[in-house]
Amino acid sequence: MKNRALSLLVASLVFFSACKDKTDPIQKDNFTLTFRALYDGQPLEKYKNFPYGDKTIYFDRFNTFLSDITLVGGSSDVRLSDIAWVDFMPDSALSNKAVDITFKFTVPDGDYTGLKLGYGVSAALNAKKPTDFPVEHPLYLESEYWQGWQSYIFTKVQGRYDLDGDNTPEANLFYHCGSDAVYHTAILPKNISVSGDAALLVEFDLKKLFTFDGQLLDLSDSANRTTSHDASNIALGQKVISNFKNATILQ
Amino acid sequence: MIRIGKTTAFFANTGLRLSYRIGFALAALLLGFAQCKKDPPGVVTPTACDLTDIPYAPTAYTIPKPAHFPQIPVPADNPETLEGVQLGRRLFYDPILSGDSTQSCSSCHLPQGSFTDNKALSKGIDGIEGRRSAMSLLNVAYATNGLFWDGRAKSLEDQALKPVEDPIEMHAQWTKVVDKLKQHPVYPELFRKAFGINSCEDITKELAAKAIAQFERILISSGTSKYDLFATGAGEFEDEELRGKLMFFDEGQNSGLPDAQCFHCHGSITLTGNNFFNNGLDSVGSLDEFVDKGRWDFVKGLSANPDTTTKGKFRTPTLRNIALSAPYMHDGRFKTLEEVMAQYNDNGFGVMNEDIFVQQIGFPVTVNGKVHYSGLTPSQTSDVLAFLHTLTDTAFVNNPDIQNPFK
Repeated sequence: MKNRALSLLVASLVFFSACKDKTDPIQKDNFTLTFRALYDGQPLEKYKNFPYGDKTIYFDRFNTFLSDITLVGGSSDVRLSDIAWVDFMPDSALSNKAVDITFKFTVPDGDYTGLKLGYGVSAALNAKKPTDFPVEHPLYLESEYWQGWQSYIFTKVQGRYDLDGDNTPEANLFYHCGSDAVYHTAILPKNISVSGDAALLVEFDLKKLFTFDGQLLDLSDSANRTTSHDASNIALGQKVISNFKNATILQ
Repeated sequence: MIRIGKTTAFFANTGLRLSYRIGFALAALLLGFAQCKKDPPGVVTPTACDLTDIPYAPTAYTIPKPAHFPQIPVPADNPETLEGVQLGRRLFYDPILSGDSTQSCSSCHLPQGSFTDNKALSKGIDGIEGRRSAMSLLNVAYATNGLFWDGRAKSLEDQALKPVEDPIEMHAQWTKVVDKLKQHPVYPELFRKAFGINSCEDITKELAAKAIAQFERILISSGTSKYDLFATGAGEFEDEELRGKLMFFDEGQNSGLPDAQCFHCHGSITLTGNNFFNNGLDSVGSLDEFVDKGRWDFVKGLSANPDTTTKGKFRTPTLRNIALSAPYMHDGRFKTLEEVMAQYNDNGFGVMNEDIFVQQIGFPVTVNGKVHYSGLTPSQTSDVLAFLHTLTDTAFVNNPDIQNPFK
């Protein structure tokens, strides 16, 4: 809880500082957008064993870029942000619990029908490099850019899977996805009524991310456990990113 | 960690950049003035305390950097000025900061060692050995994720305060150090010019730390290493260096080369993401068995339920000038880069919080349904070493603007 409160505070401060160029002094940030990481509906924790079928799995890293975050369906669409980076397991976390990431926006009153998300970095921005951005910008993050793809690393999900069933995950998993070909967008339907202050919680459930047509991804197959560094072999990355919309829950 | 942005504001500051060479020349010219007063370090004599007759007109200072380096983070409450950098440089090299005036910051951070002391463990003024190796300060301006091996200092300003009072390091008291600075024949004027104080009594440890931080922020690569010249199209690699580079960055699949996985921790232009990892040095039965628990030493006091998985994790050091900054690791256990490579070739120990890429060096080999990794062959190891030597930046270590001003 302390983590969440801290992350809310920090997120608010960051966004406030980014809004100094606004000209209307009457407008205030009235819309709170929070991102949360889960596993099977439970709060995600770093290195915590979760059931995966009859085996166990844990995660030690989960972060992602999100592009074109937009409220849709009102009198006009409201683009909240071109790009955001959310790191649910930062080094700065006070505990091993995944942190909530909260942003504040100014949104006109209205009835919206959903949230549009781009999973990854849109092509126009992905054509740039960290040196193109100021220090405070999400795309300044050099650790999230890989020259091998000439792309930002859109998403990092990594951890270990208990391959031999001894309840100690030992088989490495990593899904580092990037390049324009894996970018994916989705409009997530939900009635969102904004009248004064309003809030939306966006949850990413990693179990759902690994569930395809009702079946968990077979992690006993090593080909399913790691994305390739080969820029021409991005099939697993595409599969994971395209499933993100099914792992996204609006509350 | 959260970041959010709007594209409309992306390029507001790009016009402020100087090309590295122009900036370097300007800095050299300006910083040359700082060397005019070569009083012996540590000398304490009485001085007038009213400083208001001394002009306060700080000169904004743009840190020279290679064009292919990202913008340098500078905190709003400590903008770089020529006067601040000059003062910080002098303080950095002045043993006046230590309890017996025998050691300075530079005692453990020497230019020739890329601002390390080339010792496994450094000794403080009392001859007591510390428990960790001095980290390189090269490109430390980019380290905004915590400083020291355990990240316990949140900024360079915060970091600069700590060694002075550390009983194993400079073993002084800031109150006494500040008194010495107030009474010094030169420092009150330099603090006035850097920070606009009206009286020598206004000198504080915080201002001293700010000045040191301003100097440390200019410790930026020259951009003339062989690697930089290759990366910017201004130079070429030998075949073994190129193969090493491809393996280092996991870009060698199409050349039949295995992944050395180095870049996952040593990524970005500075070759450190400044994040914290267990890089597989020690085999332990539980995380509590780490002799040095690294980041945990800092994290354990931060909350009621601190992250216990930080035990055995340390901040990734830069690999730039790695050939100049031996020995290696937080405890200086490896004397050579060959020893380092041999360690990584063993693919770790499978400790719970060990970074997964430490265990995946080489080609995957499936044995009885389990995937193992081959490590690198001697030839491949040699290639990666050849690449690491392309990171040597002699122009940086020889830059006259960052040398000891007392010599």
